[in-house]
Amino acid sequence: MLFKNLISLVLLSVLLCPFNTTFAADNVLNIYTWAGYLSDAVISQFETETGIHVNVATYVNNEVLYAKLKANPDSGYDIIMPSSYFISRMRKQALIQKIDHSKLAHYRNINPAFLSKEHDPDNEYSIPYLWNGTGIAYNIRYQAEKSVNTWQDFWLPRYKNQLLLIDDTRECFSMALIALGYSVNDQDPDHIKAAFEKLKALMPNVKLFNMDAQRSIYLDEDITIGMGLNGDIFLASAQNSYLRFIYPKEGFVITLDSIAIPVEAKHVANAHLFIDFVLRPEIAKKIALESGFSTPNRAAKELLPLKVRTNPILYPDAETLKKGQFQTDVGEAAPLYEKYFERLKLEE
Amino acid sequence: MNTHMNRISKVAYLLAIYLFLYMPILVLIVYSFNDSSFSLLWQGFTFRWYESLMQNTDLQIVALHSLLVGFLAATGATGIGTLAAVSLYRYQFFGKKLIHGLIFILIISPDIVTGISLLILFSTLKMSLGFWTLLLSHITFCIPFVTVTVYSRLTGQDKNLFEAAKDLGATEGTIFRRILIPLLWPAICAGWLLSFTLSMDDVIISFFVTGPEFDILPLKIFSMVRVGIKPEINALCSVMFGLTLVIVLVYQLTLGKNNDAI
Repeated sequence: MLFKNLISLVLLSVLLCPFNTTFAADNVLNIYTWAGYLSDAVISQFETETGIHVNVATYVNNEVLYAKLKANPDSGYDIIMPSSYFISRMRKQALIQKIDHSKLAHYRNINPAFLSKEHDPDNEYSIPYLWNGTGIAYNIRYQAEKSVNTWQDFWLPRYKNQLLLIDDTRECFSMALIALGYSVNDQDPDHIKAAFEKLKALMPNVKLFNMDAQRSIYLDEDITIGMGLNGDIFLASAQNSYLRFIYPKEGFVITLDSIAIPVEAKHVANAHLFIDFVLRPEIAKKIALESGFSTPNRAAKELLPLKVRTNPILYPDAETLKKGQFQTDVGEAAPLYEKYFERLKLEE
Repeated sequence: MNTHMNRISKVAYLLAIYLFLYMPILVLIVYSFNDSSFSLLWQGFTFRWYESLMQNTDLQIVALHSLLVGFLAATGATGIGTLAAVSLYRYQFFGKKLIHGLIFILIISPDIVTGISLLILFSTLKMSLGFWTLLLSHITFCIPFVTVTVYSRLTGQDKNLFEAAKDLGATEGTIFRRILIPLLWPAICAGWLLSFTLSMDDVIISFFVTGPEFDILPLKIFSMVRVGIKPEINALCSVMFGLTLVIVLVYQLTLGKNNDAI
């Protein structure tokens, strides 16, 4: 008797399960993106305007996204938002397809400073969505104002056991490569080795490697100087007025997350509709405000509140922006970077 | 004097262990009332994270997805796992030892292996990833745990019971329904709860086998790490912890007694 109840319960719940319907409906768009990149409000506006049902799933880093697509290219996503260096890798491995610009009425809104970069020279495969810059964050209660200007300053003995470095291979090496005057995408083994030696010399000054908790660490003053992402520091500085952020003079990394369409996407037309939708100034403005990151959309930037759009952390002047370097896939050199990064942390 | 010291050290030891086990959860619950989005310092008491949780339909939907999959997977796995345990215990058939061994291998094999092999299986079968592939996978990895739980209770039973039942004219079906199920009920419930928990917090296997239409809570929380875990998540976890507490209490109050009686 009990067993029968059990079976009927299972059957009942399967029948009642509302997800059966999603398999029948074809007017769908499946988005795979970073958490916090798309708000409910933006999605529901798109759904009401177009009648397309949107499914959103989120990933934690580029590697996860790449693993999922590589393991099963047919996994059903129509829109993904990898960072620039993964755009170049996926392009080379034919995991993403060309985007039809004739369907994008609002494409001209994008700031040319974010177009035609090494990872996608002809802008065929990616549409810039949001960006962030890696600079130096410091707290003027503990460090003198304007006392840091360059990455090179990190090596000063006065920062002994104080720095926070971002716990990411490319970010750390980019910082050292820039300090040495090389490109952040350098594939020359000698240059990479030099960067490793440079980082090794920095280790006495390093207090912490961290990736995801920068906001609270700087806000709570657990660390008072180190690497930081502009968006994170901007948000933290709203609650701690002693926080400062600078773009180092030698240059800095711009991490650009772009929209791409996987090769096996089933709803390519809907994907284009969606891209054009998020390129609209008022939508891109909403996305920028809600995510806390900077938008590469010129028209959207003009719509932002004065305080935000003139904030030098989120929107540095054109002169500064020019010093930004975009990461591209380092190909064969990638394992070398990884090896050195591991050694660096082991020898700590 | 000596026994007195002994008792104190026993209590202290027990206290230390429970503190170690429950401290993280307590911290999580305390922070769900912290009045700050990012700061980990105490900024004052607030209910606003619970309020914003109530309005966050997105989180609610994935939480419901997780509960649904957990419920169905636990139920399915319990049914299949119980049958497997009973047949392993009661019947002789070719390859029985092998099958018994294979169940243990499934328990030890790493999640990532299970995840990838299921993904390969589903893509060979051209099944589109989503609710069904996720449910099938969860049932699959829960079955061995149910089988082991139920089997261990079976081995404690007197085999003569079944023979006595047969002597009195019971069919196999009657034995199963009237004797086995009531005898095994506590183990079946324990297996169900174990499966439900396993299903609710699985990240690795789910990552591989779920599709765009069906996001679940552990994956969602995991992916939110980059934008910083908001106290909203703390609030959600506290609610889930409360729910677990209620389930365990109900289990203890209703079945715990029966358990002693048998």
